[in-house]
Amino acid sequence: MTDDGRVREFVTAFETLRAEVEKVIVGHREIINHVLIGMFAGGHVLLEGVPGLGKTLLVKTLSESLELSFARIQFTPDLMPADIIGTNIIVEDAGGRKHFQFQQGPLFAHIVLADEINRATPKTQSALLEGMQEASVTVGGVSRPLPAPFFVLATQNPIEMEGTYPLPEAQLDRFLLKLRVRYPAIEELNAIIDRTTQSRQVVVDRVMSGAQVLTYRELIREVPVAAHVRDFASGIVMATHPQWADAPDVTRRFVRYGASPRGAQALILGAKVRALAEGRYNVSLEDLKALAAPALRHRVILNFEGEAEGIDVDTLVSQIIENVETSTAQSREPFVR
Amino acid sequence: MTPGAALDRLVRRVGAQVRRRRVEHHALRGFFWASLPAVALLALKGPLGPRALPAAAALLVAGVLLGAAWGALKQTSRADAARLADRAFGLEDRVATALEWAERPDRTPLVDALVADATARVERLEPRHIVHRILPRETRFLPVPLVVALALTLAPALPLPSPRLPDFMGSSQEEDKDKNTGSGLLEERSKPEARERLRPPAFEEREFQARSGASTASTAGDLSAVFKDTSLSSQRPDFNSFLKRGDERLKLLEQVDRLPDLASDFTASQYKMVFRKSKALSGGLRPDQISPQKLKELLEEMERLGRKGGNWSGDVGEGMEALEGGQTDKAMEAMQKALDKMRAQEEAQRSGKGLRGGRDSERGGGSRDRRGGEGGGEGEDFGEGEGLLPGKGKSGSPKGEASRRLSATPYDVGVEGESRRGRKDGYDTNMTGRGGPMASRLHYLGVIGQYRKLMEDAITREAVPRDYHSQIKDYFQALDER
Repeated sequence: MTDDGRVREFVTAFETLRAEVEKVIVGHREIINHVLIGMFAGGHVLLEGVPGLGKTLLVKTLSESLELSFARIQFTPDLMPADIIGTNIIVEDAGGRKHFQFQQGPLFAHIVLADEINRATPKTQSALLEGMQEASVTVGGVSRPLPAPFFVLATQNPIEMEGTYPLPEAQLDRFLLKLRVRYPAIEELNAIIDRTTQSRQVVVDRVMSGAQVLTYRELIREVPVAAHVRDFASGIVMATHPQWADAPDVTRRFVRYGASPRGAQALILGAKVRALAEGRYNVSLEDLKALAAPALRHRVILNFEGEAEGIDVDTLVSQIIENVETSTAQSREPFVR
Repeated sequence: MTPGAALDRLVRRVGAQVRRRRVEHHALRGFFWASLPAVALLALKGPLGPRALPAAAALLVAGVLLGAAWGALKQTSRADAARLADRAFGLEDRVATALEWAERPDRTPLVDALVADATARVERLEPRHIVHRILPRETRFLPVPLVVALALTLAPALPLPSPRLPDFMGSSQEEDKDKNTGSGLLEERSKPEARERLRPPAFEEREFQARSGASTASTAGDLSAVFKDTSLSSQRPDFNSFLKRGDERLKLLEQVDRLPDLASDFTASQYKMVFRKSKALSGGLRPDQISPQKLKELLEEMERLGRKGGNWSGDVGEGMEALEGGQTDKAMEAMQKALDKMRAQEEAQRSGKGLRGGRDSERGGGSRDRRGGEGGGEGEDFGEGEGLLPGKGKSGSPKGEASRRLSATPYDVGVEGESRRGRKDGYDTNMTGRGGPMASRLHYLGVIGQYRKLMEDAITREAVPRDYHSQIKDYFQALDER
């Protein structure tokens, strides 16, 4: 297949998968796009929203659309790491000899829904760290690879914070994107009511295999990025650091810690998927701007003043982008230089 | 793989547009900066003559050409041109990415598809100007030099200041010479006209001669009043001596303490006004030649002034009676007495801020002369203490002479005293003045301390002339030492 054909196939597969999800999920086009971008980029996605907005349903529908195994973990305060990863148990073979056998936990699935991840203790949350980053877990000194593709979709409720354990920065950094699920518009709400209160059952077809997902992941990495686009991404990430010499004033004032290099990786990878999903062979500056907020909003830690002032990280990121745009050569006419 | 020809063409086209805009931009800048010296040239149109205008025009042309050349020589990178094309045509960085990645050794398979895609899109583009004109910041100010240059071109040549200073010394000498010779009326009528043409306008309106002589009236604020009643008033100003700082006026101005108090509007003095009128009336005439009517008018005016608190009404009344009796000489004497009292009262009013020196010193000397220079008259000296206290009239002490203020006002009192033998802390004193002689005995050292404190408070609180401070302090110091 030609390169052009591979891209066209990806675009078709992307749109087909999105259409399957949209059979169940009303609205949230951008959320669905970003979830698919996270999956094809090989990352994990954190969905944040109040209860009842369809976060869990979105993930379940996605899993039903893919020929992949799916596991749902409801995080609770008494959940232990072994409950997620699995544990060694003593089994007796036919000969009467006893030995340890690893019993896989729910993490050994292609798509893992970590529902209400902030209700588990940090100890249990940390059990996900190795799996999300290395796609493997270590139990009893033995490292066990997770199935590929491995994709974690976590949800958390930003309002009911009592009895929860906010995710530590290290855990947050493992998520490629953090998506904020917002309340649907009235037209979308009407469609939800119509679709979910009738007897008609919606059947979701499995339209993509795990192998395809892996193939597309490879294709994604071939998308070229121009130097000035890459510089723009670096500039955005660096501008989130208050210690950086050229950091904008808004960063110096409200930010305690800026985004890690994983933020830049997420930005570029997500932009590549977005470009390819739009049938483009290169990453543009617009891709970076569209992905900046989901890729950086959970990586930028506000300081006390920022928290006290109620600064919205998305607004902060957009201001940083504007600042970077005006300070770099992108926005200047070349002949004046 | 090399990028498609369409991409190259697009980049070259954009590069050419950039160069053209650069040429415009920098030519405009060059025009502005060249307009500044061009304006300067036009301002020197007088000395430069008809060459100024072509030179200014040549400067402008040179500025434009230099700017244009600078703009044309600046290079535009392909990447910059490609990014500009991407933005202008909405190509979402396709051209820049294709150009960059097509020449990279680590290009991915997708790059070929990217180049093909970008080329196809570029070929569908309608060629148009995408590089906007950006005016340099200087353009905002460009109308200013242009308008000035236009005005300078149309206007006649500006008069420039002459490098030579006018020779006042020579002209004044010539004038004196003309006056002294008094011969050749024709010359007198012709030469001044020629000189008048040569004089700068600033000096034409000045009439130095008008200041000399007592008969000229001074106006309020006229600084020449500083030198009035001094020997300098009759001298003509000499500009060269001013330049050499050799003029007596400059020397007098440097002695601040010798200047009269101009703030009191010296020229508006009632005494001076009446004095001038009396001088004009007498004018060297004998008393029998003086107009009784004018003398009567003058006396009536003095009498009117005396109603405002003057103490010369009696003298004026005597003068009026004498005039009615036809005794003009007695009337003149009465008027002179009234004038003296008027002057004494004005001096008393100015005594707090009157300045030593200048006219006062001369007048003081004169008055002493009139009084015999002894200072022994009643109300003028202090009897027993005379000559002992420093600063007294005849003492010859280096501390100087005491102020004549006490003798000028009848309301002040004086204290005279003599130390008693064997008792240095006590003084036998007598109070003098309007209160009449009154014997008293004071503890000298105690009282002098109080007086010293009062003196220091008064110096800081009252408007005592600065040059009097040291004199007053020295006076008390001398008292303390005794």
